[in-house]
Amino acid sequence: MTLPAEILAGARAPAMDRRGFLTLGAKGLVVAFAMPLVGRSAVVHAQAATPPTTQQLANAYVQVGTDGSITLWFGGSEMGQGAMSGLAQILAEELMVDWNQVTVKQAGVDPIVSYLTGGSSAVSRRYGTLRNAAAAARELLIAAAMTKTGDANRDSYAAKSATVMYTNPVSHLVTTWPYSALATLAASQTVPADLRLTDPGKFRLIGQPVPRVDIPSKVDGSAKYGIDTWLPNMVFAAIKHCPVIGGTLASTPSKPSGAVAVVPCKASDTRGAVTAGSVNAVAVVASNTWLAMRLANNLSVSWKLPASTAGVDSAAILAQAQGLMAGGQALCAEPAPPTGTTPASYATQLEPAVKAALGTPTIDATYTLPYLAHATMEVVSCTVNIVFSTAGVAQSCEIWAPTQAAAWVQQTAAGLTGVAPTQITVHTTFLGGGLGRKIEQDYVSQAVQVAMAVKKPVKLTWRREEDFAHDQYRPFALVNVKATLASGRIAAWSYRNVSQAILGQRGWLPPGAVDSQATEGSTGLPYNRGTHIVEWVPLPAGIPVGFWRSVGSSINAFAVESMIDELARAAGADPFQFRYDNMTDDRARAVLWAADILSSSWRNSLPAGHAWGVAIAESFGTWVAQVVDISQPSAGSMKVNRIACVVDCGTVINPDSVQAQMQGGIVHAMNAALWGQMTFTAGKAAQLNFNNYRMMRINDMPQITVQIMQSTNPPSGIGEPGVPPLAPALANAYARLTGTRVRTLPFFAGAGSGSDD
Amino acid sequence: MYSLNVNGVSHSVNVDGSTPLLWVLRDVLGLTGTKYGCGIEVCGACTVLVNGQPEKSCDMDTSEAAGKTIVTIEGLSANRSHPAQQAWIAHQVPQCGYCQSGMIMACAGAMQAGHHGNEILSEMNNICVCGTYARIKDAVQGL
Repeated sequence: MTLPAEILAGARAPAMDRRGFLTLGAKGLVVAFAMPLVGRSAVVHAQAATPPTTQQLANAYVQVGTDGSITLWFGGSEMGQGAMSGLAQILAEELMVDWNQVTVKQAGVDPIVSYLTGGSSAVSRRYGTLRNAAAAARELLIAAAMTKTGDANRDSYAAKSATVMYTNPVSHLVTTWPYSALATLAASQTVPADLRLTDPGKFRLIGQPVPRVDIPSKVDGSAKYGIDTWLPNMVFAAIKHCPVIGGTLASTPSKPSGAVAVVPCKASDTRGAVTAGSVNAVAVVASNTWLAMRLANNLSVSWKLPASTAGVDSAAILAQAQGLMAGGQALCAEPAPPTGTTPASYATQLEPAVKAALGTPTIDATYTLPYLAHATMEVVSCTVNIVFSTAGVAQSCEIWAPTQAAAWVQQTAAGLTGVAPTQITVHTTFLGGGLGRKIEQDYVSQAVQVAMAVKKPVKLTWRREEDFAHDQYRPFALVNVKATLASGRIAAWSYRNVSQAILGQRGWLPPGAVDSQATEGSTGLPYNRGTHIVEWVPLPAGIPVGFWRSVGSSINAFAVESMIDELARAAGADPFQFRYDNMTDDRARAVLWAADILSSSWRNSLPAGHAWGVAIAESFGTWVAQVVDISQPSAGSMKVNRIACVVDCGTVINPDSVQAQMQGGIVHAMNAALWGQMTFTAGKAAQLNFNNYRMMRINDMPQITVQIMQSTNPPSGIGEPGVPPLAPALANAYARLTGTRVRTLPFFAGAGSGSDD
Repeated sequence: MYSLNVNGVSHSVNVDGSTPLLWVLRDVLGLTGTKYGCGIEVCGACTVLVNGQPEKSCDMDTSEAAGKTIVTIEGLSANRSHPAQQAWIAHQVPQCGYCQSGMIMACAGAMQAGHHGNEILSEMNNICVCGTYARIKDAVQGL
């Protein structure tokens, strides 16, 4: 997923803020690092306006204990992307400790350490920050050693394996201290102004495929996900939403036999604010999860349905989008409107010139992409324990959640309970997949509401069917691209995307502004497009939409890279050569060239019945090119045999994690491209479980080769960028194989479970 | 009251006989390594061994499981020493890890039935949304 600039602004600043360095002598050395507060958005980090308390700073990045422990307090969410390990690698590198000397602990909500996990930023945006924090901790330990020797010459000291070594310049005698023996003294030292960072050429751990810290617990059942939380005396809840999107509760149903309680639940927004008058679900509380789910499923509820379901019906939405494509007011995303000109008026102003340059377009194509569910393996689940006074007033609150946004969990609970945020503890568990779904606060809000009502510890777990039917979906989109070639070069390009506004639906978008989530991947393309315009037309439909792995790029890369291939074919050019000829970005060119070479051994000697396709896309600062080899074992099917994948993600922290994320991104994209589709009839979701929302199985798995570009650029994202190029690469191969250009995803709608059972 | 033999320990559980084994394991016995994924025997996250056979516990009645030998991920080995667990670590298979209990139990069941390498793969059709299949393919090669 990606996030608006204002949300990530705080995480972007590379400069160090020395006010953030704090020390807690009693426990050893603790080094925290505050992102500069300037530019940090009030929308997200209201708490950053207040100076952190000592207690909050106990959750600092780096802790060197007097007991020999070296701890990284992890402020993000580990959802399989390896962030927990990636950050620990950076810490261990600069702190000069060995990989097996570091322990990673999950931090609570903290203004310095916590961050929202999204935008493929978990490791990449903290690279500089954590290197500085760890280097500062190392230098404080060395400064502590200086006070013991009286020799302030830094060159007399070295650090290795959690030990400071001092070589007396006169006697040449060597003294060593373990970090634990220096930790307390280090806490009263000052960080030197010129912090020494390790020369990247001498990295021991950054760039190495060290084993991930979370993996052992994930092979023996001991890893704790949100759904695994267990508290003494807790009760179990399941949810039943109004099956029609937009419907609300007409009357509270009576408690069924065997239930502990039935609790009406108000809807809430992404950051947990409840919407007045919006009771859209009831929770059923019982003595175990299965009973709660069964009772909820069988519960007869009277719902008040919305007056019209046109805004939540796939057929009606398609018709509406087609109307807007033909005659809607567009907003111009590229070229950027000059100051004082609105995106709408700039679009109107530019359109005639683009239309003139297009003349009769060489290709005029409309691409259609469906709503998609996240379908994380772990359904959403949240456990809440509220302590009440004898008068029944909530006094403190503890929450366990598989969340991508712990700070928002705290905010959600504060709003519902009246408990001060300082009295709300959030435990971020492992996430059984996040994919952008678990940034949302709907399930957290419901669990808190149930705990307030029943006044007992409660774990809420959604049935899979509720998870599918009440997701915040990847938006449906209609994209029209017109382009005209002149002598094999793109001379004019008009791009128009009609889709819902993810930010707009959350109230995060000023009126008349372009939703960055809708247009990412369609602007700043690596191709010279001559006279061009990129437009977005907001689609005012009512399907809840959200951040789905790679977000807008999952839509726009399909339209852009399919179109590029259509143009190559029209020009009679090789798809690689056409891209090289029109490409303006050297980094993209290098990645494409590497993919060209990597795939050339098999690409030019494919057996009969096979065809290849290529696509390239940038997202989250990372370039990925993929070349696929497909065949068609029978009509109406596709077998993906082989994929060559080249990635440029800047400095590599862990090449094994990069490979894993490329492999995973490809599978995620294949699920979507081949079969993924949510459809709605009069507000009701048609796909409710994996039996009609097909996911790949192991026998569908192609052979994937991943190659990583050597780079000294700052690290960029890896969690999402593997997704966008895959669907267009498949469509491009399919066109080559069959002569049929697939412009509507998925390739095979209405797939079953994909299981032989 | 049903008697369940789980990981070599006998438990008396006081539940309705139609309660799926999955939820008895998770909510009654506290063995949360076995996961809920779909509830309809499609994804395989809930796979356990029942009398040595991989079974999807989300749709197995407790009354049917009673008296049989049940092994969950927690009971597969001490100290992650089962060859499948070792291979999973060596190949750094898990990402989010949520499906991996079921994957490993499916693999262990296929091994117990005498399968090796690619034969094991043909017995595994669980869903992994993270897409760890490439590494699972590599991991089973030595098994």
